[in-house]
Amino acid sequence: MMASSRQPLTAALRCVRPSTRGQWLLPLEHGFRALRLYDSPCDGRRHLSFESNSSPSRGWEGFEKAANIKAAPEIDLSVPTDPILDIPHLRALPASPSCFSKTPFFNDLVLRFERLLRSYGNLPTLPPSEVERVAWKTSKDYKMWTGEIVKASEFGRCVMIMKRLHQIHPDLKPMVVVKAIEPFKREVQAFANVPTPITIDRFGRALGVGRRKSSVARAWVVEGTGEVQINGKVLSDYFGRMHDRSSAVWALHATARLDKYNVWALVDGGGTTGQAEALTLAIAKGLVAHEPALKTPLRKAGCITRDPRRVERKKTGHVKARKMPAWVKR
Amino acid sequence: MLRSLVRPSAVAAAVPRAAWTATQTSSFSTSHAALAKPDNSKQGRKVVSQNQGRGGGAAPKKPAAGERKALRKRIQLSNSNALPVPGLEDARKNDLAKPENIGLVLSIPGQVQDQLRAVEAFKATQFWHLFRNASTLVRAETVDMVQRMEAAAANKQTLRLVYDGPRISGKSLMLLQSMTHGFLNDWIVINVPEAQELTTAVTEYAPIPGTSPTQYMQNNYCLKLIKAIRASNEKLLARLTTAHSHPELPQNIPINSTLLQLTNAAKEPEGAWLVFNALWKELMQPKGQVRPPVLFCLDGLAQVMRVSDYRSAAFELIHAHDLALVRLFVDALSGASAFPGGGVVLAATSRNNSPAAPSMDLALNQRLAQIAGAAEVPQRDPFFRGYDERVLAALPTVHVRRLGGMTKAETRSLLWYYEQSGLLRQKLDEATVAEKWTLGGHGIIGEMEKASLLTMRL
Repeated sequence: MMASSRQPLTAALRCVRPSTRGQWLLPLEHGFRALRLYDSPCDGRRHLSFESNSSPSRGWEGFEKAANIKAAPEIDLSVPTDPILDIPHLRALPASPSCFSKTPFFNDLVLRFERLLRSYGNLPTLPPSEVERVAWKTSKDYKMWTGEIVKASEFGRCVMIMKRLHQIHPDLKPMVVVKAIEPFKREVQAFANVPTPITIDRFGRALGVGRRKSSVARAWVVEGTGEVQINGKVLSDYFGRMHDRSSAVWALHATARLDKYNVWALVDGGGTTGQAEALTLAIAKGLVAHEPALKTPLRKAGCITRDPRRVERKKTGHVKARKMPAWVKR
Repeated sequence: MLRSLVRPSAVAAAVPRAAWTATQTSSFSTSHAALAKPDNSKQGRKVVSQNQGRGGGAAPKKPAAGERKALRKRIQLSNSNALPVPGLEDARKNDLAKPENIGLVLSIPGQVQDQLRAVEAFKATQFWHLFRNASTLVRAETVDMVQRMEAAAANKQTLRLVYDGPRISGKSLMLLQSMTHGFLNDWIVINVPEAQELTTAVTEYAPIPGTSPTQYMQNNYCLKLIKAIRASNEKLLARLTTAHSHPELPQNIPINSTLLQLTNAAKEPEGAWLVFNALWKELMQPKGQVRPPVLFCLDGLAQVMRVSDYRSAAFELIHAHDLALVRLFVDALSGASAFPGGGVVLAATSRNNSPAAPSMDLALNQRLAQIAGAAEVPQRDPFFRGYDERVLAALPTVHVRRLGGMTKAETRSLLWYYEQSGLLRQKLDEATVAEKWTLGGHGIIGEMEKASLLTMRL
């Protein structure tokens, strides 16, 4: 990048434009301000150029705006200028303080976030548990976005500042901060994908769905006296094995709620163990709808997390998923 | 076997050399001799018994005939390893009829235990062997049944009652409790512990001469039944006297001899049916000496509500109601005959090893709906033609009770009994009661025994 953009850069430093195209000598600062990054359509690399027909990405443009990088003001041609006397500084003053560093934009970014933190860091914050969860862009994403290679550790430091700014109470958060942070959030926010909360209907039923192996269970949990019916049968009729009965009502048993709720469930697919453990999850979900505070004890009892294990597929060359054929001499 | 496919070397190896050389000279063809079985008597391989181990030790002794069955059917009514339950009282005369005793565990008195054992009221599948003494929980259903029994006896009427319900819900235990009450109150108790013994063609049968349509007697079973009646009701039978002479009996039983003497007439299977029939007639005797109430129990009703496995002389299947002993029970159950001194005919269905009995199920469901006063009584399936009219005619006026789970209070009482016996390794509180009640299918007694006694981590 630097090699290909050397020519316009030196031109800017010399404060001249190529003699074939321009007739005016610009002040050095103007020269720097007119420099633009653009993607070359030929080789896909980024270049520095005075040309304005470059098409940087929209996001970056927005960032430029936000970073308050302005083009040089239009030259007033009506006033004759003395090319030597009108130079404000003998040494060129770059627009960015990090002009000569290898990764100037990222450095600017850090400086800018630091400035924001200095200005707004004293605003009241939310406790960490109540802050809106956000998936931040990674250093890799940043590289894809800007083409600028940043060390992961440096980027991490920047994200730390962003997170701190993000913690500011939303009612008091200045728009500047919101706008500065916004482009660093990932476009797909996994945390925004919140499951629909289970509601209790007008009959007092909460419907929970649970899965295990290839079984699916739906359990309607209502306040009651501990009666359990599965597919129209009593628990003891449906599960002959005592262990299956226990695991089916484990969520109620572990929270000492066995005599407080009734369960009416439909189970489908799989075998007895799968059905019983699918019921565990289904009943737990229904129970959490009634008493949200039970979620943590239920998680400790193993009733919240779905066991993702399935039957492992058979592979070619194997007798089963992993079993190999017996070794035969020739 | 195709001779051409037999390898010559195999034939040569199988045939002893002497035979080979002998036939070679005498016969033109060698194949007959070659294919003849080698004589194993002298030179054959020694057959090693499978029972003999590698060390060549003596084979383990096989259990004697009937030993295994005796072990399987053994009834153990006490266990000295179990703790004695403090405050446990013996059941007395009217204890099972008192509503205030609901939820109480009562011990069965020793003498009654012997009587119950004689009539085979205890089953090997029940959990008597885990406890210090045979005890039973008084349920609301027990009190209800016993009060009905008492009312029937007081009014000299015959209560005809059938217990239905899910598996191991305590139907046989209800029979046992009724018999306990009967023995405590000097009733005459007759019990058929397994109805399948009557109809699955496991006991001898013979046509009764002079009956039309032909009835069949089961002398061996009758003898067993008379022995059980005699052993369990001995004192009572010694008090009662005969009102008829019974000339058909092999032994002369004059009028006013005791019923015990009458039953003693049955010493061998021959004539046992006649003795039983005579005893039945005496118990049904309306005049003369007042007869005590009679309790006639039968477990596994579906077995007698079907066509039996017996065959007639024409090799046609015999209906169970044509078996004379079953006939007596069915007549009493249907109300065709009644005990003059009052009594109870009690039957329980079974969910184990029970034949499909659509007619019985229909009749019981109809009765249940009628008793509950339901708007719709179940009707016959118009597309099913397997209904048995004789069965349907036997049950239309019988009283049916469906047995379900126990209440939480009864459950608590039962678990307290387990805990006091040292069999519950848990703190007994409401949570435990709720757990066992739910795991036991809403208080099904057998399921609760499984949930609390069979899942012990010892």
